[in-house]
Amino acid sequence: MTKPNHHIFADGELSRNEGTLRIDTLDGETEYLPIESIDTLYLHGQIDFNTRALGLLNEHNVPLHIFGWKDYYRGSYLPKRGQVSGNTVVEQVRAYDNLDRRLQIGQTIIEASIHNMRANLRYYNDRQGNFSTELEDLEELKNSAAGTTDINELRSVEGRARKTYYGCFDRILRSPFTLTQRKYNPPTNEANAVISFLNGMVYTTSVSAIRKTALDPTVGFVHEPGERRFTLSLDIADIFKPILADRLLFRLVNRKQLSIDDFEEELEGCLLDEKGRMTVLEEFEETLDKTIDHPRLNRKVSFKTLVQTDVYSLKKHVLTDEPYHATERWW
Amino acid sequence: MTSELAEKYARDERQPEREPEVRITGLMVQYYHVCKRELWFMSRGIDIDRETTNIQRGTHIDETSYQNERHSFMINNRIQLDVLGSGDIMEVKASSRLEEPARMQLLFYLWFLQEIYGIEKDGILAYPTERKRETITLNSSTIEKVESTITGILKVVDLDTPPELEKKAYCDSCLYQDICWM
Repeated sequence: MTKPNHHIFADGELSRNEGTLRIDTLDGETEYLPIESIDTLYLHGQIDFNTRALGLLNEHNVPLHIFGWKDYYRGSYLPKRGQVSGNTVVEQVRAYDNLDRRLQIGQTIIEASIHNMRANLRYYNDRQGNFSTELEDLEELKNSAAGTTDINELRSVEGRARKTYYGCFDRILRSPFTLTQRKYNPPTNEANAVISFLNGMVYTTSVSAIRKTALDPTVGFVHEPGERRFTLSLDIADIFKPILADRLLFRLVNRKQLSIDDFEEELEGCLLDEKGRMTVLEEFEETLDKTIDHPRLNRKVSFKTLVQTDVYSLKKHVLTDEPYHATERWW
Repeated sequence: MTSELAEKYARDERQPEREPEVRITGLMVQYYHVCKRELWFMSRGIDIDRETTNIQRGTHIDETSYQNERHSFMINNRIQLDVLGSGDIMEVKASSRLEEPARMQLLFYLWFLQEIYGIEKDGILAYPTERKRETITLNSSTIEKVESTITGILKVVDLDTPPELEKKAYCDSCLYQDICWM
């Protein structure tokens, strides 16, 4: 049972009204959000908020992700941990610090990630183009990931796989959309802008899922813990980007839900405009709520739950050494 | 006593300055009789989603039933039991589906009071939604059951890896389901 995310696009003020969240927009409208019905709160507009509002989020374990100008990810306010477990953190760091264990977890993540890239290409093979060469290359890369002997080597396999995969995008995307090359900071064209935006959403989805466990989000296995972001969230996001972000990009573009008019050219960059962001987010949330039959759990689960169970599986692996099943598309 | 482990446990509990290595709770007793894997996970601090409806329902029933009849006591910071005006110990459950585990939990409380503190009490197992009650008493055979449970719990908790995955009838409603099967 998962609760929906809430996105606030308006500019205004977020406050606490007894047990409820209250939003007063600059347009003079007031809305109340029952805190019990929120899984994660996203702020996309210019919002003032105070500690009392954060306190309410805290009490109900609701993470807050904040996006600033043009929806660049600014950061997250995470509620005080309900789940603390020194044991879990110790075991997580032990797994990270043991090259064999770290590599094994990293390989599982990258193999799943490549598997999910291939699943997308397989779907579009013969529909939008012939990807048999790339499918074979990716298969080989997936196999070579298992044979890597250190993390750098594994990361370079991942890099090569992503390059091969992104190289197919121009044949999948309806013109005039092109990727040409994956570029971010800032994204250079429309397809890059959508990918950046959606990858950010996959990242925050992973942050929320990890928060529900006692795992430490800063200790990742593929990414180095020195990076600025939560590196474990980056690891988990890599598994789900093809499922939650890329596939959505293809659909939005090819079904003409997005057009070139939904973007704004900025200094050396290209970004979704507000209408475009709304379209993308609506579809993203719908994707998260979509359900599929889960063979291991023997019930229907949503894509959002799938991210959660992936993190559970990793946590269990870290604590018990039972196998970690990184999510590989089976449907 | 039936086993050295249970005997040592009782000895440690009787000496407040000597914490037993494993602090057994009523929930652990229940889990031991429901699923040993669940007990192992719980003993390792593996967290579950506390927001599920089942937990909320159970908490609600516990918090709203017979409130004016019973008083809660916390013993040693971990054994929480309710005492009725009559002096009996009461355990409230949402459903009688897991009857034996609930019975063992209450028996453990009675055993604890008697063995550790020398207080003899009877217990009442109550299912308010089913309007059903059962009186529980300690006797030589139930004492033996509690002590073998204690021994069993200590052995499960001591395992380096969790007991093997096994499909049970109640897996579908278990809170650890997503962790267990993933």
